[in-house]
Amino acid sequence: MGTIYLIASLGEVYAERSGVLNLGLEGMMIMGAAISFIFTIAYGHLVAILMAALIGVLMSLILAVMAIHLRLNQVIVGLALTLLGLGLSGLITFPDIRRRILSSLNPSLPESMLMIQQAEKLPEIPIPLLSQIPLIGKTFFTHNILVYTSLILAIIMWFILFKTRYGLIIRSVGENPSMADSLGVNVFLVRYVTVVISGLFASLAGAYFFIGFHPFWREGVTAGRGFISLALVILATWNPLRAILGAYLFGGVETFQYRLQLFGLGAQSPYFLAMLPYIITIITLILISIESIRKRIGVPASLGTPYSREEA
Amino acid sequence: MDERSLNKKLSRRDFLGITKTAAIGGVVAAGVIGGVAGYVAGTGAAPAPLTVTKTTTEVKEVTRTVPEPVKPLKVGYIYVGPIGDYGWSYGHDRGRRWADERFGKPVESIYMESVPEAEVGGAITSLIEKGVDLVFTTSFGYMDPTAEAAAKYPDKHFVHISGYRSGAAGNAPENMSAAFAEFYQLYYLNGLAAGAVTETGVVGYVGAYPIPEVVRHINAFVLGANYAYKKRTGKNIKAHVSWIFEWVAPEKARAAAIALVEEKNCDVLAFTEDTPAVLQVAEEYQKKGRRVWSFSHYSDMKEYGPTAHLTGQIANWGPIYLEFYRMVATNSWQSVDIWTRIGDYMPWRWRLPEEKSTAGKPEGTVYLAPLNPVIPSEWQREIKRRYEEMKELLFEPFSVEGNLGEPIRDQDGEVRIKVGERADHDMLWSMDWHVEYIEERLPR
Repeated sequence: MGTIYLIASLGEVYAERSGVLNLGLEGMMIMGAAISFIFTIAYGHLVAILMAALIGVLMSLILAVMAIHLRLNQVIVGLALTLLGLGLSGLITFPDIRRRILSSLNPSLPESMLMIQQAEKLPEIPIPLLSQIPLIGKTFFTHNILVYTSLILAIIMWFILFKTRYGLIIRSVGENPSMADSLGVNVFLVRYVTVVISGLFASLAGAYFFIGFHPFWREGVTAGRGFISLALVILATWNPLRAILGAYLFGGVETFQYRLQLFGLGAQSPYFLAMLPYIITIITLILISIESIRKRIGVPASLGTPYSREEA
Repeated sequence: MDERSLNKKLSRRDFLGITKTAAIGGVVAAGVIGGVAGYVAGTGAAPAPLTVTKTTTEVKEVTRTVPEPVKPLKVGYIYVGPIGDYGWSYGHDRGRRWADERFGKPVESIYMESVPEAEVGGAITSLIEKGVDLVFTTSFGYMDPTAEAAAKYPDKHFVHISGYRSGAAGNAPENMSAAFAEFYQLYYLNGLAAGAVTETGVVGYVGAYPIPEVVRHINAFVLGANYAYKKRTGKNIKAHVSWIFEWVAPEKARAAAIALVEEKNCDVLAFTEDTPAVLQVAEEYQKKGRRVWSFSHYSDMKEYGPTAHLTGQIANWGPIYLEFYRMVATNSWQSVDIWTRIGDYMPWRWRLPEEKSTAGKPEGTVYLAPLNPVIPSEWQREIKRRYEEMKELLFEPFSVEGNLGEPIRDQDGEVRIKVGERADHDMLWSMDWHVEYIEERLPR
């Protein structure tokens, strides 16, 4: 469960570190889910994941052009993309339209596949040896490929962001773009790249959620998880490694409450546990508003501000 | 006045509704219902957020400009969810199409989907302005606004689904009826199937909200499971309930189902959630070699769990709708409170011998999903026997007979149903206690 938040927030960390707020996360996520639904039925998992990645790139390019080039308000453009994604995903999966899309994509599909609302789930790949460990083996080492990939990516992306020259460039663009520009960094290019990364990851998160977690389609299937990922980026204080912890906290609380109920806890007030992650996020927000903490964590200073050369 | 202002508020879903109308317009124009294309396209351009489907048996007469001999019956439906939810609203929409097809006279039905409960007043007003004669509102939360609308439009007719207000009951105007398709008997039969196949002796239930409707379904299921399991092994069944506090939340139902299997070793899972999520979880366990079973809910969900599907409860709202169509068309309206069970609206509503039993076949408004051959044959016969008996109410799950001759006790050991007693409508509609075999307390 935590994986959807982890994948989405990894990309968002990069975008925000370079100074662009991608509020279209939810829209890109649900489009990723819708596309992976349709393409898994038509062509299988690999094509589905690739096409989901592609739709994320396309949607984030819209955001990039509008917010970076045209310097429009990032919040408004992002929210517009979220609404676009929610509407479009509902439209392309609406039974009559889905049937026509599917039969034109792959005319050899049997009739029953055109109407079914589920797709085949990604197979689980147990890690040899480790998955044999009693008790924890099955819980920790029997997952699908996207779960493992997301964890490896988190570490790689942390390394790039904090230990390499490229990471330094991204962070400097988010911190002080005019300074970075004067040092010869192509601010626009960096921001384009990070925004595309965030879109790519958001729609991959949606694809994971659909084919990797619960492969049943309904309208609005991601149910606000894009926005939860946005909160997670703050909770993780723009750090991919801390995002791992946060993601599993968010995901864990969602699933843990049903286990607690079976031990006589939580059923009387199910909402308290469900709101815990957000309370922690608010506390984090309060903490990072304190100047000294803010400096130490390194909140991207020009987050949300479009950059224009003339004004510099 | 308030309702009108609500009506003008165009939500995102309503906006989406316009897109869908345009889309449906396209499909219709392609020749599905050729004759009405022009009409639908006209609606598509109108600002009202309506999705329109028109079914008529006299298509040719509509396309020509000849005046229609009979004014078609206009019916409006209001759904709480999208028709693509696969559960509740999907079921009602199937019922609408069923009734339209069988009405046999020109009928035009309009539906509005995903209408928030707070905005139903405005939705009813806009349907009335479209000229409908009969309105179906299909969510419990629509009850009071429907009664208000019935008072406001005394010459129109209203049917509310899953509530308790009607002219017949005396707590609403005479032009309002109530209807519900009741599942508790089918849940008892599911319980028999569960008790017949369980190996661990532990069954689970993923519940939506702790309200009387769901509570009586849980109790009926657990009573049935105990009946079969105790008869097989002599031991009492153990039952666990996990609440998700949503009607449509497949991810939550999945998490709750996994918790029931992993933490409590349940191997049969029943549920009240409007998607096949729990059945999908059971099927995944079957694929991994663990025998976990589940059921259909509202629709036949067998394709979502071909191995794990035991049987289940299915509803067809069509016959109920059709009856109201006929009442309005023939000016024979009478306010009623319809509570359909096994037997109601079935072509033959009396007991059949086991070998001729129709259990597992579509009939009436509530019926049993196909029985999985994995259920031992003696229990298949038992399920069929009880199904047939319930057609003429010869057997009642909430009676001593349904509990192996024992009085039915709640979790505190208090006797709720004594020897010689049967639960009546009022007891079932206000049930707020769990039977003794359930481990968790009922949230209050």
